[in-house]
Amino acid sequence: FLGAGGGNDIQWCFSQVKGAVDDDVAEADIISTVEFNHSGELLATGDKGGRVVIFQQEQENKTQSHSRGEYNVYSTFQSHEPEFDYLKSLEIEEKINKIRWLPQKNAAQFLLSTNDKTIKLWKISERDKRPEGYNLKEEDGRYRDPTTVTTLRVPVFRPMDLMVEASPRRIFANAHTYHINSISINSDYETYLSADDLRINLWHLEITDRSFNIVDIKPANMEELTEVITAAEFHPNSCNTFVYSSSKGTIRLCDMRASALCDRHSKLFEEPEDPSNRSFFSEIISSISDVKFSHSGRYMMTRDYLSVKIWDLNMENRPVETYQVHEYLRSKLCSLYENDCIFDKFECCWNGSDRQVFLLYIIVMTGSYNNFFRMFDRNTKRDITLEASRENNKPRTVLKPRKVCASGKRKKDEISVDSLDFNKKILHTAWHPKENIIAVATTNNLYIFQDKMN
Amino acid sequence: MLGKGGKRKFDEHEDGLEGKVVSPTDGPSKVSYTLQRQTIFNISLMKLYNHRPLTEPSLQKTVLINNMLRRIQEELKQEGSLRPMFVTASQPADPLSDNFREAQPAFSHLASQPLLPTDFVSTTPLESCLTPASLLEDDTFCTSPTVQHDGPTKPPPPVLQPVKDSFSSALDEIEELCPAPTSAEAVAAETAADDSKDHPSESNVQKPEGLPESRTAESKLMDSLPGNFEITTSTGFLTDLTLDDILFADIDTSMYDFDPCTSATGAASKMAPVSADELLKTLAPYSSQPVTPNQPFKMDLTELDHIMEVLVGS
Repeated sequence: FLGAGGGNDIQWCFSQVKGAVDDDVAEADIISTVEFNHSGELLATGDKGGRVVIFQQEQENKTQSHSRGEYNVYSTFQSHEPEFDYLKSLEIEEKINKIRWLPQKNAAQFLLSTNDKTIKLWKISERDKRPEGYNLKEEDGRYRDPTTVTTLRVPVFRPMDLMVEASPRRIFANAHTYHINSISINSDYETYLSADDLRINLWHLEITDRSFNIVDIKPANMEELTEVITAAEFHPNSCNTFVYSSSKGTIRLCDMRASALCDRHSKLFEEPEDPSNRSFFSEIISSISDVKFSHSGRYMMTRDYLSVKIWDLNMENRPVETYQVHEYLRSKLCSLYENDCIFDKFECCWNGSDRQVFLLYIIVMTGSYNNFFRMFDRNTKRDITLEASRENNKPRTVLKPRKVCASGKRKKDEISVDSLDFNKKILHTAWHPKENIIAVATTNNLYIFQDKMN
Repeated sequence: MLGKGGKRKFDEHEDGLEGKVVSPTDGPSKVSYTLQRQTIFNISLMKLYNHRPLTEPSLQKTVLINNMLRRIQEELKQEGSLRPMFVTASQPADPLSDNFREAQPAFSHLASQPLLPTDFVSTTPLESCLTPASLLEDDTFCTSPTVQHDGPTKPPPPVLQPVKDSFSSALDEIEELCPAPTSAEAVAAETAADDSKDHPSESNVQKPEGLPESRTAESKLMDSLPGNFEITTSTGFLTDLTLDDILFADIDTSMYDFDPCTSATGAASKMAPVSADELLKTLAPYSSQPVTPNQPFKMDLTELDHIMEVLVGS
């Protein structure tokens, strides 16, 4: 694993943890998505109760040069409410599946948040001044009797305590029959895509009453359905290119210039199955739970149940690298199938864009069970396992690497596979776009780690 | 959850049982392969019927489980104890419904093998990585306790109206093989499935005569997937389920209090004749065909609706 000291090795330290302390997790508090904005100053989380909480990084304090600014709550709002589909007699969950930030264009911040059916564009704006000195209103808002007004004055803006307001500016509804799993903003910053199990739609951010269907894999006879869309993303630089992944472990790259309905892919990325690893569960564990382009757009990363794969867009027949996240689970697949853990959707992320561009180092991160998360360094080919737990919460203390013992004699400090807690899963992680700061979500807590600055 | 089995000493053999496929032709591991396949098959079936009734189940999950079931069924077919398969033109295009009728011999073949709970128990020390032994023993399959509690034990699936001839005859065949009761949920699904097969383009809009409340549970089951995907494809597996003594032989019926019947204790098989008779008496006005105690299992659609209404109401 990543050794201590030297070169590009990062030493991760606990910085903060957000969320309730007690073990009794309220279902509404379960974190369902985590996303930094483009500058890294804001960190948004969505939860199962339909709420969005945004944290803001403090401006760096000159006297505290040994640590970067802390993240504090900036805004909290209810993004989605539970709904009822009367036709099917089923509830529509308010759980926030994804949040995506728009790049900042003016003083306000904008983000897209989505549940299973509806996408909303939220404007988050600050108010730190308010007008005072109205002629017809008292300061508390009561109207003055006009006959008592003897002089006129011009109202002026005076400072007030900072208020952060979130308001829904657009609601993109009724375009998805199936459950939305992804949203991705195009590099033109005008359009975005939303993907459900069988279809992908293209929207214009200004237009809510229609969208274009660009991918439709619904078979005429639903009984023939054997594959669904699991994730989709626009290319970071080519505004006509996007990819979508499937439950059979394939990734299709599509070019919107080729035709209006991109049912025919331009490229199909698929790795042939390894016959020595074949099992009843081969298909299920090949299902891709997340796909992310590298910031350069030259590579993309996919996450399936047991591994992370890096693909070169120029090579379709196999990934350039494969990293095993928790290979020791391969012999437990039947139990994991039975308790549904095999269907857990882990996400993955690249390290910050600036570092990648300068090719200082490229690291990918993903979560696992027992509140473990893993990082893989592409350059050194080394990996590390860390744990998000309150027991490690001494700031500026370097996190101790963890090791899972698959079989045989368990060494000291190793954890055996059988004592892993499969209820403690880290599905969502995010990496600050510029700094070595990471946000790791356990079931209902958000951990922030940063590298030890010397 | 995991690790309920005893500690394994021979780690090098670990992979052979669960993670990797064991060729069915291997001598001593053939049984374990068949065992594993059957276990996975049963688990998959339980999963299809154990989703939260309030929200739509994940389409991805359902598709993956269905693919698993199809693959296992394909494998069983290829293992050869089948009559040649053919799709009849009269049947709505559902290759799986043909499959299950043709596949019965395969499954009865399996059922006649000693794949009973006692066998599971005796082999579990080797198979402890598959599923904890206690789960197989208890027949509860920890992820789905509700299957047994939700539905009361009933007489085996009722034969539906004479309109659905081929399905009825298929059910007759099954009943001959295995008169064990099954859950009402499975029965309701079969009813719903048949409805959906006859009305493939409609979801829960068109209903046969029956009571509206009983439809809610059925339509939820039917529409758990858009396009009736789940029910029509899983119809093929339901009949296999009814053949499977392992799952339903020891259903605890003490929680089931069905008003027209006296509550029963003990084995479900003891209960069946009693409840069926009582049921028939209360449903006499609805029945469109003469029903005798010797054939307690044939009921028509309206009777089923009535049962569902009682269940949903209770």
